[in-house]
Amino acid sequence: MSAAGFTHRTLTLSGSAIRRIMVEWWHLLHLGASILVLALSPSSYDRAYRNQLAQQIYLNTAPILLGFTVVCALVTVVLTRIVLVTAQSYGLSHYALQVVIRVLVLELIPLTAALFVALRCTIPDGAELTAMHANGQVDADAGYPLAFLRGEVLPRTVAGLFSGLTVAALSSVVVLIVTFIASYGFSLSGLPGYVRLFGQVFSPAVSLIFALKTLLLCLTVALVPMASALFDMSPMRDTRSSTVRTSAEMRGLVRMFVLILLIEIVSLVGNYY
Amino acid sequence: MNLNQPPAPPPIAHLEFKARLLMVFMLLLVCGSVLFVLYARGAFDQTQRLVLMAEDSEGVAVGMDLTFSGFAIGRVHRIELSETGKVRILVDVAAKDAHWLRTSSIFTLVRGVVGSPAIRAYTGVLDDPALPDGAVRTVLQGDVSAEIPKVIASVRELVDNLNTLTAANGTVSASLHNLHTLTERLNGPGGALTVALGSEQDARKVVATLERTQALLTKLDGIAAKTDTQVFGDKGVLPLAHETVVQLNAMLGESRESLKKVDGILRDAQAISGNAKAATADLGALRADVEANLRKIEGLVTEINRKWPFARDTEIQLP
Repeated sequence: MSAAGFTHRTLTLSGSAIRRIMVEWWHLLHLGASILVLALSPSSYDRAYRNQLAQQIYLNTAPILLGFTVVCALVTVVLTRIVLVTAQSYGLSHYALQVVIRVLVLELIPLTAALFVALRCTIPDGAELTAMHANGQVDADAGYPLAFLRGEVLPRTVAGLFSGLTVAALSSVVVLIVTFIASYGFSLSGLPGYVRLFGQVFSPAVSLIFALKTLLLCLTVALVPMASALFDMSPMRDTRSSTVRTSAEMRGLVRMFVLILLIEIVSLVGNYY
Repeated sequence: MNLNQPPAPPPIAHLEFKARLLMVFMLLLVCGSVLFVLYARGAFDQTQRLVLMAEDSEGVAVGMDLTFSGFAIGRVHRIELSETGKVRILVDVAAKDAHWLRTSSIFTLVRGVVGSPAIRAYTGVLDDPALPDGAVRTVLQGDVSAEIPKVIASVRELVDNLNTLTAANGTVSASLHNLHTLTERLNGPGGALTVALGSEQDARKVVATLERTQALLTKLDGIAAKTDTQVFGDKGVLPLAHETVVQLNAMLGESRESLKKVDGILRDAQAISGNAKAATADLGALRADVEANLRKIEGLVTEINRKWPFARDTEIQLP
């Protein structure tokens, strides 16, 4: 094979791969938007679907809430001690608590909460949808039936979003309390200064970015696995790309990580530039 | 039944209630967090405005604290540029802490080597009138990092001076050399005397002088012993002097008696002289009478002489 032929073939393959990726992302975006529209539609919360929604919300949130909070508290104690001792050794103890709040509450908690919910709830939920399709419970060739979307997809998506937000909120509160106790002990004398420090960290811009980041991360981990599962059911997907190494869960995970990375980069740019 | 179908989850008692509880819990968490952020940002505090005028706003950020004695009593609300080109730092001071600020309060903006600058308030006289709302004050600025080049230049100068001092031909080296010579002389013959007098010969002279002084003192001791015997002995000068003094005392007593007698004699003489004085006065009058009588007799004699046969020829015969 000549060099020109090799180059031509490589460029053709690259072009087709990029085109396929773009089409996949476009369909994912479309499916995600459709689920969001359904989530914002009051008719999706009729009594017929309410039981399924309540079940998904409870099953996706309650079992992980306590465990994740305890793990967060333990990690917070360790990290706070490390930062405090290190800062004291450099004579910068005044900045230690600010660093702890910024690192833990602003950066780590939303990300870890979203990833934990994804690994524990939404990715298995996506796998369940794929399994339902494999069992023939869903006929995706004729389009997604509204009852399937409202009865199976929407509750899992809303539950994932709800779970992510609840875990992130509770963990942030627990982390703040544990950080205060690890720094000042069981004394309220340092509370005014701590509250003031917290207020200094959470300026309006930082608070807005924190809220948006948490919401977008939770939306990502709630939507992408469902949309990936639905996309893998559809006849539009390229069967050549579906191999053992690129299973539905793996592709959903990669898409989700890409989006999480993008959101994290944008939030970092917004916070520190 | 399909074997791949996942098993249905077991039914959950009071599912809808638990789900509602979770939603209420989440809502409470989110709303509580929002309220806490607002509280921490001071949204619910009563504040009064303080405007600080600064030359430079570098490092000053919205939300940073105004501290008094290390306690945060206010926070920067806004930073703007005034028409005069100076920086207006609008600070919200908590109403409950505003009494710490008085009309005589001083405000500083200090930049440390590490971290953001700090705005501090100092109040020397707490009895002064309270700072009014919207008061405008000039902030005094200090920059620690700006002082670093000056400090480094001074340190460099100091090190140069130290190098000059400690050089091989420097004063410190010369001093150490002198110290070495000094210690050598201290350890040598003569010791400290050689160091004090400058040469060994002089030190020897001092030693010789000391020895002679010691001999002299020995002689003086002998003389003192003899003097003691001669002065304080049984037949010494002092007992004799004592006896002499006793005798002198007796003589003085006798003299005192004699003087008393002389005193009486003098008093008698004084009386006699008083009498003589009176007699002298009487003699004056007597003399005057005698003189008058004599003049009368003289006149009478003169009268008789004029009379015959006693008349004399008073005519003077010229040759």
